[in-house]
Amino acid sequence: MRGLPPYRKNAFILTAMILCISFGSAGFLGLRLWDIRMDSSNGRSVPVADIYQDGSLLMSIPLTRDAEPYTFTVTGDTGGYNEILVTDGQIGILSASCPDKLCIHQGFQRTSLLPIVCLPNRLVIRVHEGESQIPPDAVVY
Amino acid sequence: MRHFSTRKLTTLALLATLSLAVYAIESALPPLVPIPGVKLGLANIITLVSLIRFSTQDALYVLLVRILLSALLFGQAVSLLYSLAGGFLCLVGMTLVHMLLQGHFPPLISIFGALCHNVGQLMIALLLTGTPGVLSYLPFLLLSGIVTGLFTGFCAGFMLRYLKPLKAASPLIPEEDDGNSGQSR
Repeated sequence: MRGLPPYRKNAFILTAMILCISFGSAGFLGLRLWDIRMDSSNGRSVPVADIYQDGSLLMSIPLTRDAEPYTFTVTGDTGGYNEILVTDGQIGILSASCPDKLCIHQGFQRTSLLPIVCLPNRLVIRVHEGESQIPPDAVVY
Repeated sequence: MRHFSTRKLTTLALLATLSLAVYAIESALPPLVPIPGVKLGLANIITLVSLIRFSTQDALYVLLVRILLSALLFGQAVSLLYSLAGGFLCLVGMTLVHMLLQGHFPPLISIFGALCHNVGQLMIALLLTGTPGVLSYLPFLLLSGIVTGLFTGFCAGFMLRYLKPLKAASPLIPEEDDGNSGQSR
């Protein structure tokens, strides 16, 4: 490393930083996926979707698997709307007033991996694993 | 206000137009990944080229013209805020890395630019929605920033091969004193 010009040393350091960042985020995502898979495989909890608007919790919807599908519409202060569909343990946005429709492209979510965000209407739908609704068969202390 | 030579003024104006056109084409493409904030950032190629060929200040002019015009032409007020925050942070990050690397390795420069851009946009999203849950986008945005930054950096590198520094002017016109050759490579 001694004979190298300083910009080459800096390039090495910066590349190492980039590698750290990419491995860090990939590892973090892998851990999250693993967590979610473990949570859903034991089947004890019903995920709950929290709908936030402007940072305040608007409603919490349990995402039960065998419920009838239904839709409802959330309207913001600025006049924007999002039509939300809850079906088969998933939640997603059907139609929206925003210009880019990114929230619709985000599809349906059933895990906490990625929240659905509509930035123009400041709407965030976040799924989290709910508290267990089925009592455990036995508890050993 | 700085004094531009005519040649430089026209080149910068051309670059700004080019980045606006690239931005328009990119926004007409369907989103590659259904995650807000993940995009190629092709317009950043032009910002990086103006940063390396000219200076930070000139890149800032190109960036500002592009953002303001694109907001006027196809944007809305909200996206202007995102573009400004992302663009400024991106330019700051690219300037720092550019100084560290002394003009070499454009892909490294633009990777850090893309990372700063995505972090800046996420901060604005955090401010606007007031929901900390938006932060779970961070790993996705970091990964995508590295990939797209690598791509745009290579594009900028190819473009820089053909865009010669202004000192090497065409022999038809006598060289006028412009006193701002920018970065010499």
